[in-house]
Amino acid sequence: MSDRITLTLRAPLDRALDADAIAADRLAALSAQEIAALPLWDGRNAVALGDVFSVSGERAQTVVLEGDLAKLRGVGSMMSGGTLEIRGSIGSAVGARMLGGAIAVQGSAGDDAGSAMSGGSLVIAGNAGDRAGGALQGASKGMTGGHIVVRGSVGREAGARMRRGTLCCASAGAGAGLGMIAGNVIVAGAIGDEPGAGNKRGSIVALGGVRVPQTYAYACTYRPPHLSLMLLFLRRRFAFPVDDAHLHGLYKRYSGDLAEIGKGEILEWQAT
Amino acid sequence: MEIRGVQIDDTFAEAFGMRGARIIITAKNEKWARESANKLTGFATSVIACKCEAAVERELAPSETPDGRPGISVLLFTMDSDSLPKRVIERIGQTVLTCPTTACFDGLPDSPDRLAIGKPLRTFGDGFQASKMIDGQRYWRVPVMEGEFLIQETFGKAKGVGGGNFLILAESAEVALDAAEAAVESMAGMPGVILPFPGGIVRSGSKVGAKKYKGMIASTNDAFAPTLRVITRTALPEGVNSVLEIVLDGLDFRSIATAMRAGIDAACIAGVRSITAGNYGGKLGPYHFHLRRIMSGDLDDAPKAASAGPAAQP
Repeated sequence: MSDRITLTLRAPLDRALDADAIAADRLAALSAQEIAALPLWDGRNAVALGDVFSVSGERAQTVVLEGDLAKLRGVGSMMSGGTLEIRGSIGSAVGARMLGGAIAVQGSAGDDAGSAMSGGSLVIAGNAGDRAGGALQGASKGMTGGHIVVRGSVGREAGARMRRGTLCCASAGAGAGLGMIAGNVIVAGAIGDEPGAGNKRGSIVALGGVRVPQTYAYACTYRPPHLSLMLLFLRRRFAFPVDDAHLHGLYKRYSGDLAEIGKGEILEWQAT
Repeated sequence: MEIRGVQIDDTFAEAFGMRGARIIITAKNEKWARESANKLTGFATSVIACKCEAAVERELAPSETPDGRPGISVLLFTMDSDSLPKRVIERIGQTVLTCPTTACFDGLPDSPDRLAIGKPLRTFGDGFQASKMIDGQRYWRVPVMEGEFLIQETFGKAKGVGGGNFLILAESAEVALDAAEAAVESMAGMPGVILPFPGGIVRSGSKVGAKKYKGMIASTNDAFAPTLRVITRTALPEGVNSVLEIVLDGLDFRSIATAMRAGIDAACIAGVRSITAGNYGGKLGPYHFHLRRIMSGDLDDAPKAASAGPAAQP
């Protein structure tokens, strides 16, 4: 038994590989030989993990990935426990449908990061692509639980159709919170156009200003009591950059999407 | 045993099992947290007529509260599990929900026994309420005229101890009050303990039932009433002209014993003749706080054994 399993990329990848076999909980009970025999998928062709990565350590709750992993898809998919540490950037669908545990990406992530996740935490030190925390193609719900923290920017449609959980980021592209059912999208900086279109009960928190869509209507300016609790938690747990002024400050509340049931909201922080 | 010339009687306080909750009230500032807590704990001195016993446990700094605002911790006790959520719900509903700027949180997060408190109170929102999951806990945002009231969905329940007590027997009413005030001050803010009576002090200690009036649940403790010294079976030593009692409820035996030790020590001032305690002969309450053991530093629950000595009844 080791304290960690380290997978080091043997050579740069020249094509994308599906790597949903790599998840901390799935590797935790395996020997190094068993890990090396796991399949990665190049289209319909299986490739042994050991041919792509050198494996050191076995039977550990923590898995470390090293190398240029931007062409690796689906790492951490359906992970339910343990810790996955990605030392570099990672490809699309990292942490998709994850149920628990923690994934930390030291670089950036591709599209669909944490899509349809229901628990655990996905922390990305760099940027994330489109549809972070969103729904799988054709699915009615995006993430239904857990936390996605992106210290950089997220692409388009972050948190699309999310049902529960929290996604927070430094800035977000257009269409953040598209079709949200509930849950929270918290943006420290700029938000792209049309946030919260089709939002039912979700909360979009704009700490750095927002252009409010026409299908939202101003309700009031107040101090939302749950926000201090939520922002304190994010600051404490994920070192999300929240000032004391955000914790107890005034927010404009816009109700929407009024083309939907109108129980959603955009909370825009007011600098004093 | 004597402390600074004050005799500590060889007797014990007899206490009972209760069920308790810890309610954290936060607000814009300490004033409004205190205002709400004072209302919540009003008329909650004794389960005999108030249905619960409650008091402020201590003030909380912003760094100690869930939302980073000033807060007050309140303990509330009832005699049984069924009535605890009823009392908590009706009091929060009338005194915290109504109070400007407050929010309300569970103070026993590690308790596996959960009471649905915010869940029924959310219906005040008439369908406009919304919930948020934060750090694994559900909170309800209830829209109100001021803005929003936030309350945690469930609160922890604890098995507590009610009726810890000691009596201060003094040469005068002035000395008795000075000693009792000193005792209360020394116990203020101790974790896990409340003093539910006015200012933490009881002047009307009672006995079970009554000698004259049938149907009375409690009546004056005539054995400790100085004006009745010559016409009843008194328990008052010579020179004692006034008695005050301190009653304590707590989340566990040790918390009460620790507070009693501090309070009794502080009460031993000039003019106090002795410190004693109320019990029923050891037959009713499962928790016995032996004064001399406590003052010797033994603060843990001991095997039950009735002690000799005068039996006052709290």
